[in-house]
Amino acid sequence: MSVLEGPRLEEQVTLVELVDRVLHKGVTLTGDIVLSVADVDLVYVGLRVILASVSTLERLEAEAAG
Amino acid sequence: MSVVAEQTAWYVYGVVESSLASRLEARVVEEGELAAVVDSVSLTVFGEEALEEHLNDRAWLETHARAHQEVLQEISLAGPVVPFRFGTIYHEADDVRGMLRARSSELAAALARVRGRVEIGVKAWAGQAPVQPAAAPSTGRAYLEQRLGAQERARAATAQLAEAARDSHLRLLSRAVEGVANRPQPRELTGRDEAMILNGAYLVADVDPIRHEIEQLATDYGTQGISFELTGPWPPYNFVDEGGDQ
Repeated sequence: MSVLEGPRLEEQVTLVELVDRVLHKGVTLTGDIVLSVADVDLVYVGLRVILASVSTLERLEAEAAG
Repeated sequence: MSVVAEQTAWYVYGVVESSLASRLEARVVEEGELAAVVDSVSLTVFGEEALEEHLNDRAWLETHARAHQEVLQEISLAGPVVPFRFGTIYHEADDVRGMLRARSSELAAALARVRGRVEIGVKAWAGQAPVQPAAAPSTGRAYLEQRLGAQERARAATAQLAEAARDSHLRLLSRAVEGVANRPQPRELTGRDEAMILNGAYLVADVDPIRHEIEQLATDYGTQGISFELTGPWPPYNFVDEGGDQ
């Protein structure tokens, strides 16, 4: 997959784990804040698609648990 | 160098101190004491519309999320880094500099917060409760009692798991500078039979104490069918968002 020989961490990193951190965490420069800084020159992508699918699954899980 | 008509933009992985930037092989955009670790990306791939499409493509997402992680992982081995969320892109290097200027105090504070520390992920998993074969009820009343009993046991088991998760988180916190219990990932995402009952992230200066605590927890809760899993060290994704009010 990767051209590089991955660090040991990569072996254990599933996509879910990646999404959990890479897409859900880290500094978020939300459109409003940054737009005021960089005018309209920022392309910030909200990743709503993934968030929506994750929250759907979480709802399913809650229903299953409830 | 291929100079093509293709439009490019600046993808920001994260921010480091300028003093570290010079030691990295990565491409950076500097402003004062801070430097953004960046890559030039094509807008045909990373433009808003294109990106939205790609995010539905699991293979694409995995490749690029992994690349984001790998870049940050490598930097974090060299020094403190403030990870940015996937998909933060500016059209011009000047916009990146503007962001660094505007956010300099928060970014400097975030760097101070994570300096010399790493993030450790800890998950706790509860196995399926063994189903006890019950004798077939002989009467309606016996059937009802059996059903109620089963519900009661299920409720008690759930409460016990919640308490185990809470206790585990507190014990892990005691070995960390900071910690956060994130929402456990649902089975549909993990694809595992066990239920995730704790999805914690802990900021630590030293990995050994928390590793030891995890071993201890595994011993203490093993009899309840709960297992623990450590991941990392990670770049400090969970400990840099100034809005972190979890």
